[in-house]
Amino acid sequence: MRSLPVALGLLSLSAATLGCGHDSPAPVGPDEFGRCADFDELRQPFWGDTHIHTNLSLDANLQGTRTSQTEAYAFAQGEPIGIQPYDADGNPTRMAQIDRPLDFAMLSDHAEFLGTIRTCIDPASPGFDQVDCEEYRSALQFDAAPDEVRSIFIRLNGFTALAPENARYPALCGPNDAYCLTAGMEVWGEIVDAAEAVYDRSESCRFTSFPGYEWSGGPASKNLHRNVMFKNESVTALPYSYFDEPYVEGLWARLQDECIDAGADCDTLTIPHNTNLSEGIYFENKMADGEPFSAAYVETRNAMEPVIEIYQHKGASECLPGETVADELCGFEILPFTNLATTNQELFTQPDPRGFLREAFGEGMKYEASLGTNPFQYGITAATDTHISAPGFVAEDDFKGHGGAGQPNRFLPPPGGFPDVEYLSPGGMTAVWAEENAREAIFSAIRRKETFGTSGPRIVVRMFGGWEYSSELCSAEDLAAQGYAGGVPMGGVLDPQPGASAPMFVVSARQDAASVPLQRIQIVKGWLEGDAYQVLVYDVAGDKDNGASVDLDTCAPQGNGFGDLCNVWQDPDFDPAQRAYYYARVIENPTCRWTTWQCSKAEYDCNDWDYDACEALKAKPEPESNYTCDCCDPAAGLNDAACDGVDCSDPGALPEVEERCCYQVEPAIQERAWTSPIWYQPPS
Amino acid sequence: MLRALLNFFLIGGLLFGAKAVYEGRRVEGPEISVKVAAGATPAEVEAAIRDAILLNEARRYGWDKRDPIVFTHLVRNMRFIDPDSTEGDLTLYQRALEMNMQAHDPVVRARLLYRAGESLAYVPEDRMPTRDQLEAHRQAHGDRFEREGRVRFHHVFLSRSKRGDALPADASAMREQLSSLGDGPPKGLGDPLPGLRMEQSATPSKVKEDFGAELARVVDGAVTGVWRGPAGSVYGLHFVRVIDQDPAYVPSLDVIAAEVRADRLREIRDELRAERMNALRGAYTVHIERVP
Repeated sequence: MRSLPVALGLLSLSAATLGCGHDSPAPVGPDEFGRCADFDELRQPFWGDTHIHTNLSLDANLQGTRTSQTEAYAFAQGEPIGIQPYDADGNPTRMAQIDRPLDFAMLSDHAEFLGTIRTCIDPASPGFDQVDCEEYRSALQFDAAPDEVRSIFIRLNGFTALAPENARYPALCGPNDAYCLTAGMEVWGEIVDAAEAVYDRSESCRFTSFPGYEWSGGPASKNLHRNVMFKNESVTALPYSYFDEPYVEGLWARLQDECIDAGADCDTLTIPHNTNLSEGIYFENKMADGEPFSAAYVETRNAMEPVIEIYQHKGASECLPGETVADELCGFEILPFTNLATTNQELFTQPDPRGFLREAFGEGMKYEASLGTNPFQYGITAATDTHISAPGFVAEDDFKGHGGAGQPNRFLPPPGGFPDVEYLSPGGMTAVWAEENAREAIFSAIRRKETFGTSGPRIVVRMFGGWEYSSELCSAEDLAAQGYAGGVPMGGVLDPQPGASAPMFVVSARQDAASVPLQRIQIVKGWLEGDAYQVLVYDVAGDKDNGASVDLDTCAPQGNGFGDLCNVWQDPDFDPAQRAYYYARVIENPTCRWTTWQCSKAEYDCNDWDYDACEALKAKPEPESNYTCDCCDPAAGLNDAACDGVDCSDPGALPEVEERCCYQVEPAIQERAWTSPIWYQPPS
Repeated sequence: MLRALLNFFLIGGLLFGAKAVYEGRRVEGPEISVKVAAGATPAEVEAAIRDAILLNEARRYGWDKRDPIVFTHLVRNMRFIDPDSTEGDLTLYQRALEMNMQAHDPVVRARLLYRAGESLAYVPEDRMPTRDQLEAHRQAHGDRFEREGRVRFHHVFLSRSKRGDALPADASAMREQLSSLGDGPPKGLGDPLPGLRMEQSATPSKVKEDFGAELARVVDGAVTGVWRGPAGSVYGLHFVRVIDQDPAYVPSLDVIAAEVRADRLREIRDELRAERMNALRGAYTVHIERVP
């Protein structure tokens, strides 16, 4: 472990020598717990995004993202930024602005190529003249051809898809990878500096930043990515990537040894995401040596990975329709792809249920029974995974595409139709219940899993589990105080209570003041029965038949709902001998999905729609689109006539246009919030 | 290599300017002609002059011939013109220079301007701000670092979802109850709402984000010690009583040093750009040619 001031001192010397403009370390002010003017020991909700890419990420900058970490932080705090495509003079042709500032953010650029990019763009770097660097620089130019960009992207990014035993830096990184390691350290220092410059250490506590990065291992394109989050400016010397540590156990060991155990107020955790795109291997019972999980492994995983992203730009990972339980709300933002490559290429493939949280929660309880610890005892977060430096940019009615695996929008003209692949989405946000908007409080909230994720709207939800709550708790002005005193908050573990009949849960929620009312609150219960896990979904507040809907032509919401909902619910089928978990899902009234919003504002005519002609436009060297092509495509879910009579029992056997009828997005969605589960562990 | 180029570039420009000031007379610098549209405004003329000077400086230091991005771009141009060529990149590049392609290509132009602009903004060690300078900067630009004022208030909420049609009558009753409450906190009154506290310290902006503009206006404009309301929101009706108000303020340098430093560095870069540009401008003899 090297504390930051030492690391930065070396880096700034190196940077000054190179003349690349990195400055000496910034002074660091005080950060005592309890310094914020708005401190609440009973905790309050803070909103953030922990998955954000800027021009420091290889995939983002090849997609034309030029905005820096500084600009991403400015965006998070409410400033407008210009985004791609850029014109020949370097001016952005589109602007983006969040509707309300975030409270906190962690930028998570891909660690794998931080040093590679710097090596390739810094003429002083010894790797600068390597052929791959030349091609990379060429691909960055304004007039680069899409094929040229794609070629170098695949060549470099392909290293993240190598098998772990073959994972390595590109050859351009020189002997022993020295060029990229040195440059990577330098960029890492700048990342920590950028976070420091925007962290509000005053008692106003208006914004909190966390240094971080993304570890981007994906053997054979099966996603195993994790975001690495540091509590403060005390960080490891290197941002350890898949090329440095190709197994996640190695990453955790580095973080443990060089940060957590180093005794310098360093703390860190990893946040898994997109388990939906792992072909089911994210939760596979296999360690780096190929052996099944050991007791030590599950203990480490439980400690290092307290939370998981349930939803983001590249789809939801909660549950699959038809799997484990009849749950009509499992169809929300499910990608019809199995891994990162099929997503990039839009090759329809059936998602693997083993990559979804319902399965992981069930398997985790089995490991707990056999090994003593549940490796998948996750709390819940959500994020954007934006690749355009736009943290928390979740508005369905103002979606500009997030890049990433989707449409890059790099080339002129600006998008004439959908700004992103129809299956992708604006992503979600994380909220934490913390005492104040400062690093210690927010990081601690994430570590103890007092978190919830939303699909975008700022729905506030609170949940406590206990044994003897009053049935009148929803009317109590001190609900939170009683909740803590009589039980555990979301993310907690409920210990057995001899003599008690069944656990009780109080769930209260309020709608986003800038969105539509709530429809209902559900509690999802999962339990272990012998070797099998089960799930039941209970509606505990609100009314699913409230008649609310949305006009798909205008996107105007219709009908009434609830500004707030609350209930005290007791499990009617509790068996004290069975392991169980309970999480709340809060559901909004229907609203338009972003694709429908785009079409509601556009002019298009499905009578003029010709699928083959539209495909020809997409296949041009510089792809084109228009709203008739996009809105009338069966995938957008708005062209019923095109799908009339299509039999989806074997989609792969259908003509392409009809196959798309079998993979339609929902034109109207029900935005939602998911709480971290409360876990019940029976007596051992 | 970059550092050497920077030194040449910056020192060259500054020397011209310094010499001119010291000697109090015009020194002989580069001479260029700039073509502008007949109807160009003074600002457009000045922008054209600026670009022309920077391009000339970039060329003086050979960046149009040595910059790797320019190299790649010109080679690509040549391969586009002559796709069957079997000549190596270097040969093609030299042929492009012989054709003076670098002088007219818009990408090369943009690259050279970008590079020259970056060089203008380079911050040398002796221009890095000291602590005293940061403190002066903080004081001089308090508006940039100002924190919004906060209001501490009591808050009583009545839920529309819970009370339905009874909400207006309940609000009237609550108003009566609050008016006879005295100075004590409204303990046990109203409905809970996640994230809402009986006593809270918040900025008006935060109140607006959480509960909407109407309540924010009431909180912001309330007289201390007096119950106000009901104010409406999507959730129901609210009563507030302001306990005290903290005005907007600027935190001390100890607290916001990193923020002040980042801001000052942005400014220094702008200053350096202007200083160096002015020095170059002063050293150049520019002939304006207006063309129809």
